[in-house]
Amino acid sequence: MASLQLNLPSPSPTSPLSCSPRLSRLNPSPLNHHCFTPIATRFLRFHSNYRQSLHPVSAVPSAVDLAETNGTDGRDSEKKPLLEVKDLTAVIAESKQEILKGVNLVVNEGEVHAVMGKNGSGKSTFSKVLVGHPDYEVTGGSVMFKGENLLEMEPEDRSLAGLFMSFQSPVEIPGVNNIDFLNMAYNARRRKLGLPELGPIEFYAYLFPKLELVNMKSDFLNRNVNEGFSGGERKRNEILQLAVLGADLAILDEIDSGLDVDALKDVAKAVNGILTPKNSVLMITHYLRLLEFIRPTYIHIMENGRIVKTGDISIAKVLEKEGYRAISSP
Amino acid sequence: MSALVFTPHIHTFTAITSRLQPKPKQRIKTSVALTRSPIIQASFSDPFVLQLAETFEDSLSPSQSPSLQKLRDSSSESLLSIPWPSRKDEPFRFTDTSFIKQSQIHPISKPPSTDHLTNVSNDTHSPNIVIVDGFILNSLSNSSNLPHGVYVGSLVDNPKDKIAQTLTKFSDDFQWGDLFWSINGLGAPDVAVVYIPAGVRVENPIHLSYVSVEGGEEGSNKLPVSNPRVLVVVEEGGEVGIIEEFTSIGRNDKCYWTNSVLEVMIEEGATVRHSYVQSQSLNSAHIKWTSVQQKSTSTYELVEVSTGGKLSRHNLHVQQLGPDTSTELSTFHLSLCGQTQDLHSRLVLDHPRAHSRQLHKCIVAHSQGQAVFDGNVKVNRYAQQTDAGQLTRSLLLEPRATVNVKPNLQIIADDVKCSHGAAISDLEESQLFYFQARGIDLETARKALVFSFGAEVIERCPYSFVRKRVENHVKELLSSTS
Repeated sequence: MASLQLNLPSPSPTSPLSCSPRLSRLNPSPLNHHCFTPIATRFLRFHSNYRQSLHPVSAVPSAVDLAETNGTDGRDSEKKPLLEVKDLTAVIAESKQEILKGVNLVVNEGEVHAVMGKNGSGKSTFSKVLVGHPDYEVTGGSVMFKGENLLEMEPEDRSLAGLFMSFQSPVEIPGVNNIDFLNMAYNARRRKLGLPELGPIEFYAYLFPKLELVNMKSDFLNRNVNEGFSGGERKRNEILQLAVLGADLAILDEIDSGLDVDALKDVAKAVNGILTPKNSVLMITHYLRLLEFIRPTYIHIMENGRIVKTGDISIAKVLEKEGYRAISSP
Repeated sequence: MSALVFTPHIHTFTAITSRLQPKPKQRIKTSVALTRSPIIQASFSDPFVLQLAETFEDSLSPSQSPSLQKLRDSSSESLLSIPWPSRKDEPFRFTDTSFIKQSQIHPISKPPSTDHLTNVSNDTHSPNIVIVDGFILNSLSNSSNLPHGVYVGSLVDNPKDKIAQTLTKFSDDFQWGDLFWSINGLGAPDVAVVYIPAGVRVENPIHLSYVSVEGGEEGSNKLPVSNPRVLVVVEEGGEVGIIEEFTSIGRNDKCYWTNSVLEVMIEEGATVRHSYVQSQSLNSAHIKWTSVQQKSTSTYELVEVSTGGKLSRHNLHVQQLGPDTSTELSTFHLSLCGQTQDLHSRLVLDHPRAHSRQLHKCIVAHSQGQAVFDGNVKVNRYAQQTDAGQLTRSLLLEPRATVNVKPNLQIIADDVKCSHGAAISDLEESQLFYFQARGIDLETARKALVFSFGAEVIERCPYSFVRKRVENHVKELLSSTS
């Protein structure tokens, strides 16, 4: 009975460590559920607190502690798993080169996870595979999102199901107005929920407060999607889309790259403003500084297509000081 | 009507082309020289064209305007030496006109009764001239509210000397015309004139509405032809917008042939903004000539959106006659059914510091659809310090959809800045995925991207009511094909 919130380093896919939690999650024991409710609620409240403030929270338990305490208390039955990735392997569709070589990860509701790793370790591929990018082909493993098989869903259905990825370098779409694009995406969501679609004027009223959240001027809306946007504007635009569409799990692929400190603060503030105790975040980053603004519950280190280490913010600090060599598995 | 119907004689025609083919460069010269000597001409005549010319002559009553009569005479003469174009002729290499030739062509000899036309003018933006099947309908035209000295109407009603002279000079000087140019010159029942005196700036655009009423049933093989002709003269420093809108009334599957000519004379320092919207029946043939002459420091800007016609061909000829002259051409062609959309443009720059920009975009979204673009820019010896740019982009959305593009720059001057580019593609996958990643389904995403491709041209139209109308029409077409 290992932790369900995190993925323990699993040297081999057949390790019992990585298998057993999944089984137990799928068949939660009613007894455990009953016994440990109070602890779980406390934990949740704690989450919501730190989200609302930007101040770093020092009391994030280390992964090892969690693993030990969770191992027996079965708090997992209370925390609903949102995303469960199991032995995921994927190749580049064109060259068939294998990039993901067995990724295991569990993200529960309300958790913030960060994935770090060297260039080329598979971080971005992992996030793109999750949202169904056509450049990659899944060759094995499973991904469950809210209890459904994510891999069988079309990219647009993944988005409508509550999965959002902010692109590392979003494409320019000349000729498509930013506000029209947002309106189209928002209406697709409303259709899915059986709500009436919003016309341009109603939509603008809904959109306007979100603009402030990401600190953007309204003339930004009349420009073509990402066309001629600076690096900072593109990232803000991604977060604006997140704010408009909402998401149960937001995958933020290097939202800190190419941003100056002020822009980074804006973007991080916006992300924190959007989060509720129920949404989860999966951040992909190279730098500690982002993690100081959006505090992760867990940090995973990715290497050669696998998650090789999981821990708390202290891992990132070691990384910052000593580089990936200090972390790499021997 | 049976007297006006005739059958093609293909064998004679092929013999002619094979004789002409080895010396394609001399073709223009030869035909010019031959107009003076009718005896030799006869041997070059295409019996099909001769018969066609005869039916036109029979269908028309003699014009009261001497200049129009002169135009008819010279056109009739030149028809003697021009064969029906085949795929062996370079300008028609990719454009198959046999659909017209194999139909029972008959000229429309009188304007239709106005009962059909009640819904033409109950528009808030009522057109200034309504041309129905080639005839100017004064009852539907609205030439009030025009500044003093501006004339919009029939050549016959107000034959200003200057206009008559321009008309004659234009047709005498113009050596690039093809068979269809001459057919129009012979068959035009009237010439609509837009005259802007020196220094006059016309606030509201002059709106020309071309309506096709008569048409054969689908499959009937009947092809009524109309020959609308318009002359625009803008004197020194004048400024005007011209909107040309080609539509049809009634069912959208009628068979007809619109063979239209627009001539534009832009004097020194004058400006013409031209919008040309073609949304005719999907069984029609639409052949159009636009010939523009620009004197020094003048400006000509064209925005074209062509979505209609089974065969739609635009011959665009712009000639700069003086230095510091600016030309901007933006065209968008949409082939959603088994249509051929063709633009043949020629821009002749002969003087220093010319400026030109050309953007041509086309979408072919049908396996039998075809787009053709031949864009010639000639930068001649004296056109130094010219800045000429040309870009063509095509979207092919279906397997076997075809585009033939031939961008060509001929540069003789040695101190110029010229650019050209051609791109042919499907929709960008990365862009489609971006939509999908935001929850928008593939079909909606494709439509939005296809529309945005054309929007780049549509946005350049300076008149919001035209833009709106065109946008809605294109959106409607795109959603009806899915």
